This record gives sequence, structure tokens and C-alpha cells, in this order.
Amino acid sequence: MIELSFELPLATAELRVEAELPVAVTAVMGPSGAGKTSLLEAIAGLRRKARGRIACHDVVFLDSARHLRLAPERRRVGYVPQDAGLFPHLTALGNVRFGARAGTRQAETAIETLEIGPLLARYPASLSGGEKQRVALARALATAPRMLLLDEPLAALDVELKERVLPYLMRIRDEWKVPILYVTHNVGEALALAGHVLFLRAGRVEAQGAPLDLLSSPGLSAEAEAGIENLLRGRVAAHDPAGGITRIELDGKLALSVPLAESRPAGSAVTVAIRAEDVLVSTAPVKGLSARNVYEARVEGLERTGVDVTLRCAITGSGRPWLVRVTPAAVEALGLAVGTTVWLAVKSHSVRIV
Amino acid sequence: MLTADEAGVVLFTLEVAALTTLLLLPPGLASAFALARYRGPGKSALETLLSLPLILPPTAVGLALLEAFSRGSALGGWLAGRGIEVVFTWKAVVLATAVMSFPLLVRSARTAFEEIDPRLVGLARTLGCSPAATFFRVTLPLAWRGVLAGTVLAFARALGEFGATVMVAGNIPGRTRTLALAIFHDSQVGRDDRAAVLAGVTAVLAFAALWTTEWLSRRLERRAEE
Repeated sequence: MIELSFELPLATAELRVEAELPVAVTAVMGPSGAGKTSLLEAIAGLRRKARGRIACHDVVFLDSARHLRLAPERRRVGYVPQDAGLFPHLTALGNVRFGARAGTRQAETAIETLEIGPLLARYPASLSGGEKQRVALARALATAPRMLLLDEPLAALDVELKERVLPYLMRIRDEWKVPILYVTHNVGEALALAGHVLFLRAGRVEAQGAPLDLLSSPGLSAEAEAGIENLLRGRVAAHDPAGGITRIELDGKLALSVPLAESRPAGSAVTVAIRAEDVLVSTAPVKGLSARNVYEARVEGLERTGVDVTLRCAITGSGRPWLVRVTPAAVEALGLAVGTTVWLAVKSHSVRIV
Repeated sequence: MLTADEAGVVLFTLEVAALTTLLLLPPGLASAFALARYRGPGKSALETLLSLPLILPPTAVGLALLEAFSRGSALGGWLAGRGIEVVFTWKAVVLATAVMSFPLLVRSARTAFEEIDPRLVGLARTLGCSPAATFFRVTLPLAWRGVLAGTVLAFARALGEFGATVMVAGNIPGRTRTLALAIFHDSQVGRDDRAAVLAGVTAVLAFAALWTTEWLSRRLERRAEE
């Protein structure tokens, strides 16, 4: 259990966090300037102005009431900033060994986990972004940390690199049993890694909870970079190589076609993402449309989000409502209101397996 | 080539410069570090004060030192009471060169410390380093270029200091005469040829010091790029 109950003055607002995080991966999300990085720095002990209480398991980092503040070097947290923060005057090995309190054995295990053996003799200046992140992660792990604080470890990487580093993070989560606080703007990342989401806005915890519940609510995910996404859990039913599609059975027995993804074996659990603006809305049954996925639904709610309107549509026979983003003009032209029966259509290529 | 006396002067000058530089490093680096970290009021006033010896006439600095360390003053009297004579001894030479070299070391090192990303310092702390260990393992290695440059500048300044030295240490053959003072003396008594020889020696020494630094700096640089 990680206990956060503290205040910290920021440049524009004040960070005020009250949260108890389960010991697993927590994604910290929210718009820029919400105080996400400050939160990590306060936990790491790098913000001297933090007041309140911070504890990890039974180790108290900060307890202002008892005038207790553990120095950063005694907190044993592995902090990895957004740009990796490697020491430029040391080789990759020098960086990994820099803090290796737990001895070289721990460092070696970290080097193996992140597969950076071939990079060890090189200086940070000659490493790529993904390599730097892996070295920084190994450096943090080599200290046998009580907790890992990762500040957008994948944000600086392009899509291809992201997909190469993400598995390492999953491996750390599964093999090292270390609580992780993970700042990200990316819904897919949060969903892939985290069991809990802490959503900050203007220094306050606006919401927290399970990722699927939280990230599907329009107000919150509208702030996330990826926009509003429908995140749906399901199971791979079958592959159809000739038709170029993979069939997925969603919760509630809804069948969904996605572009062929044979790397996911039949029967395996998957999460799919559908952007709210990629869903077409029709007020009449759809015929002769190329979209493979058409469902009858009922409008349960309309909410203005920015310039657009977000519809909440309950699909007949399915549990979780879908979020659909349309323009106010479309709402008017189709006469959409609560209770309207609609048909939702999604192209296979608009469905992403995350 | 050099007479025994002249060789003695060269040796004495090198000793003074080396001792001055060694003595200066701890307080110089500490001041530079403190100035780089300090953000409070009076920062620029403090910096200006520290740089004052750079712009004042060296003889004015020497005069102030002479006043401060002569037997008649509180400090000089206190030292004399403990058997420590400063004025007109080799100690006065070291004192004068140290005061004149101090701002050069501090300015150069301070800039180098200020250029270090403070987040790297914080990171070192989260990785288990105490503030002192962080200074020696991160701050100093990252600032080495500026620290080395400042050290060499201070050494070179100590080699050639004249005005403050002559005021507080005099120009006593075999006791306080450095190269700069010997050149002046030779020229005054009409031995221009000897003055020229000594000037040449000074130039060679200064060149050697700067060149060694350059070479060292290149070597370290190359190692870091591999």
C-alpha cells in the first residue's frame, strides 16, 4: 500500500493529493501542468516543500506532523525521468552500477531483464532514445527499489520503439514485484500496464479507479492525448486469413471483426480500442456498407465535450455503453436524443488491439 | 643559461604558484558551488564583491592586505602573538597571489557548476548518494572542464602576479622575489638582457601550463566520446 496525503505548492496551483494506491502498477494521468511530474518528485524526495504524509508499505518517507522527512538517498525509490536522465560522464555500465546498493548481482539481473548487455561500454551520447530508457530502467532496478517512479518512459519514443520498450516494462511489472507509479498520456499504455489509474487535474485528484471504468468516461479521456476511446475486453474467437480478418468475441457475446492478427492465438484475452470519432451513427438499419461491424443500440446520454457531442450508446445485448463522438450538426440532422434507436458501424481497420 | 640565483627564483615562483593553487582549490570550489546554488537576495552583490580583485589595481589589493596583516592591525597582531609573521615573508607572497587568483578560479568553476542539470543531481540522490558523494561523483566530474580551466588560470595568474605581491611581500632577494619581481628588478638596475631571459622563462612556463591543460582536456574528451 502506498499512502499519499500531502500538499506541494506549484508554480500556478497547489498539488494536493489524497490517495491510497494498491501495490501494483498505478497509471498517473491528466492534462499537462496537472502536477504529475511534481507528484513523482515529491515521492522521490526531490521537493522539499511537500507537506503531509507519504509512506510506502511501512516505511514513512514524509510525516510533517512528526517533523520527519527521509532524505532522497534513504527512500530507495527508482526514479526514471522522461528523458532518462543518464549521467553523461559515465558509460551505460557506470550508470547502471551508480546506485547498485544491492550489489553487482542485482545490477546483473537488471541488465539481463532489459537486455542491455551489448550497450554497457557505450556512453549515453551514443545511445538511441529507447536504449537510454532501458539503461535508465536498469539503473533504477539495480538499486533494489521499494517503488519505481516512471515519468512517461515511452513518450519520447516513436511508435516502433514504444512497442519494443513496452514489453520490458511489462516484464518488470511481472518479474520484479515492485510497485510502479507510471505517468502517461497514452490510454493504451495505461491499459496495458496499470491496474489502477490516478487522474490529476490542476493539482487535484479528479478521479481514481480501475483503468477500464475510468478511461471510458468522456470527461477524463477527452484530456488524454489519444482522445476518447472505447476500450473493450474480449477473446479471440477465430482467424480468417482468406478474409483478412480476426473475429473477436466481446463481453456480452458481441462479435467484432478486426484486421487479421494471427499473433494473438485463438482463445487469448485481448483489449480492443475504438476511437469515439471512428464510429458511424445511422438512424436506419445499415445495408450495403463496407463496415464489418454494425450494431443496434439505444442513445442513453448526450454530453457536450469541447466542440463535439459525445453520445453514450447502449448496444442491445451488451454491457458496457459505447462512446460515440459526433458534431452538433449531426445531432440535429439525425434528431438524436435520449432514447433514439441507432445503428453503430465500425470499420475493421478502426479497431485496434492494444 | 640561468644563474644559481635565477634558478632559485624560478623554483620559488613555481613553488608559490603550485602551493597557492592547491590551497585555493578547497575554498575556491566551495565558494563557486555555494554561489552557483545560492538563489537568495544579494547574489549579484556577492558575486561582484568576489570579483573585485580582478578590477582593482593589484597594488590597492596589496595595500589592503598589508594593512590587514601588519603587526599594528588586529589580525596581524594576533598572528604575531602566535609567532606567525606574514608580511615580507614567503607567506605574504602566497597570500597575495591567492587573493588575486581566487576570483579567476571561482568565476570559472561557478559557471561550470551552474551549467549542470540540477535534475541529475537530484537523480544521484535518489540512487543513494549523500550530498557529499553526489558532489564528487556527479557535480565535479560534470564540471571538470570549467574547474580545470579555472585552476589553470589561477595557476598562471599566480606565476605572474606582481602588484599585490610587491606591496605585501616586498622584493627581497632569496626570500620573496618571484619571476615577475625579478624581471622588474633586473630592468630597473639596467640588466635588460637578464630581464629578457627571465621573461622568456615565464613565457615558457605559462605556455607549458596551458598546453598541458589543453592536452589533458582533449584526452579526457576523447575518452568520454568513445
